[in-house]
Amino acid sequence: MEWKLFADLAEVAGSRTVRVDVDGDATVGDALDALVGAHPALESRVFGDDGELYDHINVLRNGEAAALGEATAAGDELALFPPVSGG
Amino acid sequence: MHVLGIVGAGATTLCDRLAAQLDGRVATVESLPESATEPESTDGVAAAYGLSPDGNWVGSGDDRDLDGLLDDLSAEYDYALLSGFPDARVPTVALAGVDAANVVAEAETADAADVASLAAEIDSHEPHVTLETLVERAKADPLEVYAGAIATFTGRVRAKESEDDDPTLSLEFEKYDGVAESKMDAISEELEARDGVLRVLMHHRVGVVEDGADIVFVVVLAGHRREAFRTVEDGIDRLKDEVPIFKKETTTDEEFWVHDR
Repeated sequence: MEWKLFADLAEVAGSRTVRVDVDGDATVGDALDALVGAHPALESRVFGDDGELYDHINVLRNGEAAALGEATAAGDELALFPPVSGG
Repeated sequence: MHVLGIVGAGATTLCDRLAAQLDGRVATVESLPESATEPESTDGVAAAYGLSPDGNWVGSGDDRDLDGLLDDLSAEYDYALLSGFPDARVPTVALAGVDAANVVAEAETADAADVASLAAEIDSHEPHVTLETLVERAKADPLEVYAGAIATFTGRVRAKESEDDDPTLSLEFEKYDGVAESKMDAISEELEARDGVLRVLMHHRVGVVEDGADIVFVVVLAGHRREAFRTVEDGIDRLKDEVPIFKKETTTDEEFWVHDR
């Protein structure tokens, strides 16, 4: 499945889209671990010292807010972005 | 209004061929050499129009740039086709290898260009939208007969918060394509469910927006002023809170993502 990254997260990763290969029963959290594994520079931008996802980081699955425990399916579009700042 | 530029020999011919393929009202703008743009000088006249009883008109004037012209056309036309503006920040078709700032398609000659694919191309790019575009759309709504009010909000690039600030030169906006639009549609739909709120329209520009230029518009068509005012405020507040759009600020001193501050 594919991650879409935005704003400074895309700059840190050096790419706006990242494909990850995960098992069929992977959760959104597993797919996030695979993303950060492929782009370690993201780790400190996404996870706090306690290893938890920062509250201000948004994770979407197919355009809707997603919990890390949520199941994924092949072909999902996942998105990771900082606080929105339009207007 | 969708905009497409064409540059190179035969650009004007291709504009005309393409115009016939497009579904909607089309305006064409042709680049003129400097000598041809000298207005017939009449002291104190900035613009001169001729109008016939059947609605045909001609116009000429001075003191207009391409951005200003596109702003004016955007409320009234569905498409603008520009011939001969290689430096314009619009998607551009290059004929015979002529150079342009933002080439999205190329063809050897005007006759060789595939107008059906260009018609699809023009729709795939961000439209040129102004406040007036949305106001006119609201006025054309079937529910306008019940509307006694239109409230609007325009967000623009502020150069300074205070006198000593480093001036902001521009903001650059990036959006999550598809998701940003569906989020805005969902917000509009929820606001339209309010009593007396007839239509809510929103548009946010992307890419580089210069100091002083407009960024975002919210337009509310409503029965009365109270619900129009409340809804336009809630509309822009929710857009700023919920829609996945990100801005990077360039000042005279530095460049930074706004959410990092």
